[in-house]
Formats: sequence, C-alpha cells, structure tokens
Amino acid sequence: MKTLHIFIAVLFIPWSFSLAKYDDFEDGDDIMEYDDNDFAEFEDVNEDAVTDSPQRIITTEDDEEEATVELEGQDENQEDFDDADAQEGDTESEPYDDEEFEGYEEKPDASPSKNKDPITIVNVPAHLQNSWESYYMEILMVTGLLAYIMNYIIGKNKNNRLAHAWFNTHRELLESNFALVGDDGINKEATSTGKLNQENEHVYNLWCSGRVCCEGMLIQLKFLKRQDLLNVLARMMRPASDQVQIKVTMNDEDMDTYVFAVGTRKALVRLQKEMQDLSEFCSDKPKSGAKYGLPDSLAILSEMGEVTEGMMDAKMIHFLTHYADKIESVHFSDQFSGPKLMQEEGQLTKLPETKKTLLFTFNVPGSGNTSPKDMESLLPLMSMVIYSIDKAKKFRLNREGKQKAEKNRARVEENFLKLTHVQRQEAAQSRREEKKRAEKERIMNEEDPEKQRRLEEAALRREQKKLEKKQMKMKQIKVKAM
Amino acid sequence: MADPRRPGRVARYKPPSSESSPALEDPTPDYMNLLGMVFSMCGLMLKLKWCAWIAVYCSFISFANSRSSEDTKQMMSSFMLSISAVVMSYLQNPQPMSPPW
Repeated sequence: MKTLHIFIAVLFIPWSFSLAKYDDFEDGDDIMEYDDNDFAEFEDVNEDAVTDSPQRIITTEDDEEEATVELEGQDENQEDFDDADAQEGDTESEPYDDEEFEGYEEKPDASPSKNKDPITIVNVPAHLQNSWESYYMEILMVTGLLAYIMNYIIGKNKNNRLAHAWFNTHRELLESNFALVGDDGINKEATSTGKLNQENEHVYNLWCSGRVCCEGMLIQLKFLKRQDLLNVLARMMRPASDQVQIKVTMNDEDMDTYVFAVGTRKALVRLQKEMQDLSEFCSDKPKSGAKYGLPDSLAILSEMGEVTEGMMDAKMIHFLTHYADKIESVHFSDQFSGPKLMQEEGQLTKLPETKKTLLFTFNVPGSGNTSPKDMESLLPLMSMVIYSIDKAKKFRLNREGKQKAEKNRARVEENFLKLTHVQRQEAAQSRREEKKRAEKERIMNEEDPEKQRRLEEAALRREQKKLEKKQMKMKQIKVKAM
Repeated sequence: MADPRRPGRVARYKPPSSESSPALEDPTPDYMNLLGMVFSMCGLMLKLKWCAWIAVYCSFISFANSRSSEDTKQMMSSFMLSISAVVMSYLQNPQPMSPPW
C-alpha cells in the first residue's frame, strides 16, 4: 500500500513540472510584447524613425481596433498609443496641410497592399482582460462543488428517510419478538433505545436481543451511497440495490450442526468462494432448487441432502417462491467464522472461532430508485427470519446425518492441522531455541565462576538426557517395525 | 403463541471489531484523502491551480465517503490544506485558469 502511494506521488510531480514549464513560456511571451510597446513610445517621438512609423502605425492601428472592440480597461495600451492616436486622427480627417504628410506617401501605398492581405487580429491574452467571463473555469469548478454539496444533502436525507420508514414498518414485529430493540452498546443499562444506530451516511444498524433460541440479531441497512455524487454517476452505468443484511447469532444448544445456503446463483458462487465454512463444507456447485418447487433464479448449497430436505418445508418454500426477487442469499451455519482471512505466513496456528449463525441478505425493491413505501414490502421477509429462527431450533439431524456431520468436521480440522503442521513445528523449534539462548545468557551473565560452572554442567546433563530419550524412542520404533 | 421474548437473556451490542472490517470494506476515503493531500502539495509547490481544485474535490469526496469511526480532525485538516492550496495559487497568480485544450 505505502509503496503504491509513494509511486503515485512520484509520478505526479514530474508531470506537473512539465506543465509548469508551459506557464513559464507564456510569461516570457508577455515580456516580449511589453518590450515592443516600450520601444514604440520612443520611436514615435523621434523624427529619424518616421520611416519606420508607418509599419508601426499599422500594427498599432490593429491593436487599437482590438482595444476599442474589447471592454474598457485598456488604459495601458491607450497611453502608449496616444501619439499614434493623434497621427491617425490626422490622416483620416481632411482639413490638414498636405505638407505634413510628405513622409507618409508610403502610407497610402502601404495600406492598399495591406488591405489585400487579410487583417490579422491579434488576440489579447485572457489575463489582460479584466472581466468575470475570463474566469469561467473557476466558475465551473465552484458550480461543480455546489452541485456536489447539494447532492450530499439530498442523498443523506433520502437515506435517512428510507431508514426510518423501514424501522417504522418493522418496529411492531420486532418489539413483539425481542425484549431489547435498539442498543448502542454505550449505555450502562441494557434498555431499548428504540432507535437505529447511524454508522454512516448510508449504513444504519439495529441490535435486537432477548428472545428464546437466539443470542441476538444484528440488522444492517446498507443503502447506496446517495450522498456521494461520484457514486450516483457510477450507478447510472451499473444499477445496484439497497440491501438489508440480518445476522442472527444462535445459542449453542439451539441449533444442530449443519451448513446450508440458498439464494441467487451469482450470490452463492460468490459466497462459496469467500466464506470459510461454505468453501470447506459445501464443495459441490450450487444446485438448482427446481426439485423443491423453487424458481429457477434460486439455487441451493448444502452440506448433505438430509439438511436440504429438512430445511425445505412447505412454509419455507412458500416464502422463497413469493419473495424470490427480494432474496439475495440465506445462509445457515454452525461453523460460521466470516470470510476467508488472507493468510499470512506463520500467522494461522489456530482454527478461526466459529459461531452458530443465520445470515440473510435481502435486496430492497426499486433497484436504487426506492421510495419509503417500498420498505413495507420487506415486512414478510422479516417474518421469514423469525420463522427460520424457530425452525433452526426445531430441526435436528437424525443419527446418520449427525455422524456424517461429525466426520466432515473432523476432516476439515485434520486438513487444517496438516497445513499448519509445518508452521507449528517451526514455531515449536523457535521456542526451544529461544529457551536455550535465554539459558546461555543467564550462564554468561553469572559473575560467580563457580555458579557458572555448575549451570553449564546442569545444561550439559539436560542435553545428554534428551539425546538418550531420542535414541530410546528410535530403538522402540525400530523394534515395533520389526 | 407464547411470548418469545426473554428479558432475562438480553445480550449487549458489541460493535464488530473495528480493525479488520473498515480497511477490507471500502478503501475510498483513505485513497481520496491521500490523493487530496498529494494534489494540494503539488498545487502549492508547483503553483498549479488545477491541482489545487482537484485537491478540494478529493477532500469533499473523502468526507462524503467517510466512516463514522474516522477522525473529523483528519477530514478538517485535509479540507484546510486543499483550500489553502487554492487560495495561495490565486494570491500568487491572480490570472484565471487556462483550460488544457
């Protein structure tokens, strides 16, 4: 991560340098023009430079045209060309001596030829114009920022409204099933706050507890990031839904040992890859649920057939068929330990802790364009959750199923131990070496030479004993082998 | 149906371990924070106006995506840095920004 950040920073700096040089070049140009104007002042006063002045006049004329067309603040230009002004006025208006214009015979000749060529209008650089229009990039930026802020406020409020609509719809059902509805974990007493915890502008939590069978239920309302304009724009390309994620932690005695999941095929494939328990216990690909009357969109992942048979009773099938469009995944597991951890070397010496859990993920209908009314359609799904809790408690595997389940779990544990065997050996080895080192240090640090000798002898004796034991063991093994 | 509620078996809410989940779930606010700081430093030192403006945008995006557990101090500091980058660029060079095209 850190190297990536440094790399990105390093890339940006030379690129900006090259663009900075560009700016310097433009500044140089300005200085050049300014020099020309300085000299133009002096040349107009000098008579010797009169022959040069026709050309000067022409260029200054053009500049002047430009000056008059553009808005006022051309004070600098007009001051420099005051002399030119006087001369131009003279050439254009009639009642003046012709004698004065002896030197300017070239001019009438010059101007027709000039007229043939197209007049090149010199562009006055933007920074010399003092108008708001030249700051249009800045105005664009500020407008963009204001749009972002507006979207933030609107998105935040919408998510808030949706969350409270959901809670109002479900409050009654939850309060009739749980003693504690809403807990922020900070209060000293365990009293129902009756409110959602707002974690984020788009994530709301609710903790319910105090029911038979389960320790507690955590409901997470994961809305879309409506407060972030970038996310809103990305969602226009790829539509997504708000999600309601429910995690029920069961009591140990209230659930038998099985792993089971049902949901959309895509979700199950993803879960099978990500979740530790599904990848270990449900090795087959998700099977179609058509056998049980489920719609084609839903698939089943199960540890053994008996579990599927037991789980797919009439009421469950009814729930799953009627609300199939809102169900993303349903996952029951007694070995749930979360997603697979990225294994670093030498770290995994113990199996991760498992908890008996029921997990539900529901999609809110509307696919992003939800209104608070859509939350009512999720109420039957909550009833399904409550029904599943009771069902998980009632459902018990028969003897065969239980034996299979135990075998599976033993197999998984063995595999894990084998994998970590090498690591555990290394860990034990390093521990032994550390002990030896500590002892040697102690011996070295002993000042009294007598004590030193005694400790050394004791260490030698211990090592000899160990060697003897090993030799005995080898002999025993050889004898047994024979 | 009997009342399924058991007030005696109430368990308190324990927020899930805050170490592993935030980094895994969504790195956007962290990336945006870092980008914002990089851009504002570029804008300040190399006097590039567009860098400073992008830094302001990055810090806004980082704020919108931030998690509740994150420090407001860090948000505010990145905000202030990006706004100061914009202000300094304009103080040194009041000319308007030129588009790249």
